Amino acid sequence: MRKDYIKEQKARHARTVLAVLPIQYPKELLTAMDVLAVELWGPPGKVRGPGAGRLQAYVCAVARNAVAFVQAGGTKDVDGFLYPHACDSIQGLATLIPNFGGAGDKPALHYLNPKGEARPSSRRFLVAELRDLADKIARITGKPLAPERLTWAISLHRDIDALRLRLLEGRARLDLSDRALYDVLRRGEWLWPEDHLSELKEAVTGLAEGGAVKPKGVGLLFSGIVPEPMTIFDELADMGAYVAADDYAAVGRRVVKKPLVLKDDPLETLAWLMFAHPPCPTRATSLATRLTYLDRLVHRSGAVGVVIHTVKFCEPELFDVAGIKSHFGAQNVGVLFLESELEGELSGQTVTRLEAFVEMVAQRRKS
Amino acid sequence: MIPRRVQYELIKHVGGPLLMELQGLSKRLRPRRGPRPDSPFGPPLESIGKLKDLMTRHYLEGRYADGAVPVAWVTSGFPVELLRTLGFHSVYPENHAALCGVQRLTPEYSAAAERLGYSRSLCSYARTDIGAVLLDKTPAGRLPRPDLLACCTNICQTVLYWYRCLADHLKVPLVLIDTPFVYGDSAAHHQQYVADQLEELLSTAERISGRRVEPEKLLEVARLSYEGTLLWGECLAESTHRPAPWTGFDGFFHIAPIVTLRGSTECNAYYRHLLDELRYRVKRGIGGIKEERYRLLWDNLPIWFNVREMSTLLAESRFNIVVTTYTNAWAEAGKRMDPTDPINSAARSYTHVILNEDLDRRLDLMSRLARDYQVDGALLHSDRSCKPYSIGQVDLRDKLAERAGIKSLLLEADHNDPRAYSTEQGNTRIQAFMESFV
Ligand code: SF4
Ligand code: SF4
Repeated sequence: MRKDYIKEQKARHARTVLAVLPIQYPKELLTAMDVLAVELWGPPGKVRGPGAGRLQAYVCAVARNAVAFVQAGGTKDVDGFLYPHACDSIQGLATLIPNFGGAGDKPALHYLNPKGEARPSSRRFLVAELRDLADKIARITGKPLAPERLTWAISLHRDIDALRLRLLEGRARLDLSDRALYDVLRRGEWLWPEDHLSELKEAVTGLAEGGAVKPKGVGLLFSGIVPEPMTIFDELADMGAYVAADDYAAVGRRVVKKPLVLKDDPLETLAWLMFAHPPCPTRATSLATRLTYLDRLVHRSGAVGVVIHTVKFCEPELFDVAGIKSHFGAQNVGVLFLESELEGELSGQTVTRLEAFVEMVAQRRKS
Repeated sequence: MIPRRVQYELIKHVGGPLLMELQGLSKRLRPRRGPRPDSPFGPPLESIGKLKDLMTRHYLEGRYADGAVPVAWVTSGFPVELLRTLGFHSVYPENHAALCGVQRLTPEYSAAAERLGYSRSLCSYARTDIGAVLLDKTPAGRLPRPDLLACCTNICQTVLYWYRCLADHLKVPLVLIDTPFVYGDSAAHHQQYVADQLEELLSTAERISGRRVEPEKLLEVARLSYEGTLLWGECLAESTHRPAPWTGFDGFFHIAPIVTLRGSTECNAYYRHLLDELRYRVKRGIGGIKEERYRLLWDNLPIWFNVREMSTLLAESRFNIVVTTYTNAWAEAGKRMDPTDPINSAARSYTHVILNEDLDRRLDLMSRLARDYQVDGALLHSDRSCKPYSIGQVDLRDKLAERAGIKSLLLEADHNDPRAYSTEQGNTRIQAFMESFV
């Protein structure tokens, strides 16, 4: 399906296709330059292929699966790679594959999202980094960046964010299962943004008018890197629970909620946007800022529990677990910690733990 | 009550030196025990006593530093020269964690962190130190409370996540030097970014210390730092001789001053002394091990809790680790330093460190070291706790065989946590590796 779509994008629209590694990158820039971003979150399932052993088993499955997938030819239809600087593991891949092989001689681009809170130095740097990336993309596509296209792309992606936000925040009024909602949201990882926008428009028609809340069961905040395996949502539905608030790096953390601040130069607007993303440990937002944000998600959504659903060996996420546990523990909000390895299905043990947690927070809510 | 500052100065200038004198005296009075006759090692380095004194003094001063002088907890690759100029006492949590690792304290300290929710999959330096903070325990007596946390991402992103937790726990400001990873050549705007951050650091550090940077002093510290890295490099280079006058394992311990006291006269005086001793040994053919038959390169951090056992195992079979990428990192940094231009030079040299450069460079470096130190093989420590150092080692092993014609063993362990390493299995693998040379 994705392969056919990529081929069609190239044939019909003469678009360049880049495989993009997690997590945050200036998608607006790619859209403006007629580049289709196809994100590589793993993919889930068993690590397969000759590249499987190139990373040690104690490296996260997102990185391990990506190397194996690339080396097995899974990205043969793309024109190049973009490696954002998410963490040590992605940084490692960003040199392993281009330097020691696996993807042929396809160009590798890098993008450094500055870490920490925005500072004068990092704001200046980011504009320069975006300009540099635009130049490098232009060398691949043969088309330089046109500022008016960037302005258009920024506006297109704001429309997308607005709809994603309506879906995520109107979750309790949405006539869609979690699984169906995430299917729609995650198709944005590889669809051309205008196609994604159409699907989102369709999805928001499922929002009940006038704030009529449908009883949906036990609402939970989910926080982590990527919602895999997606079967977790089916299990959750069977347990009478749902995702009331989303803090996945692949989903909610990429939806900018602040009103857009337009600058004279669209690259500066884009730089502003990159800093305006919700808190994320991969960007090293301070823990206090992150906890305030999570608090707001919990209280606004009415979630009665927090599920930290993260990828095993994911250092950025794992360092925050203790802080999140103690923060919500002090408020008597239950916290469940689940680790995944991007397996195809949840293990029986994980399902049991989730079930027990849902029961526990449901009881607490009643009492 | 004696004011804190006076206590600190007394310890620094009177108490510390006096204590060292007394210790030295008692050592001299004690009958000297030579190495066991069956020991596979050469005579121990005399400098080790000086090293112990130097580090003991550093930690001793630290006990009285908070409230007396500004205190910063600093990552090993942080451009500390700027802080030193402002009179900060610096504490190196990584060095402290290594100290705990050697004493096998990690399981206890880490358990305290794990109880709060810090996963055992995290870097064991971080777990050790977070645990030490939570338990308020340290083998160093007491660590001074920081006024500032200073983190540079040139070794990994992990330090940043770790320092964020410390900042939250200790309620202390965190300054960050974000060093873009170098793929091929470092872009001009990347260098500018680091230099800009260093300028920002200066104003934060000036505010916290209540002092202004004196340009002359900064130049002097930068000069000392440059000289120190060169001296350290010369010490390491003595092992290009056969037999190497010391072992790579010795180097793991003697690296402490260049990490923790970089930019100080004490640091450089120490390395001058060490260099003299190493040269003396080279001249007389005194080796780090008694009989050096095979020479190895070590990649990645040491396995701190197992250094003694592993070095003995190797030495008994006449294998010597003569060079390590880890200790070499501080020598490489000097090549890009220009002490007359401290800010831009720091931006350059602190960006180009082994863990912040691509794997092509790492392979070049390892091949060069293999050639210069005439190694026969390599031990690549695949360190569960250090992903940035370990990613790429599977390919590096194969490429080293292709390019430098040396065989390597990928040995999975953990630099600080003995719970993640089976000594027995490790020894068996090392034995088998050594047998393949014979
Ligand atoms: S899961 Fe975590 S460690 Fe793995 S690539 Fe993503 S951010 Fe990095
Ligand atoms: S051991 Fe590795 S991961 Fe840990 S702080 Fe050092 S460089 Fe970072």
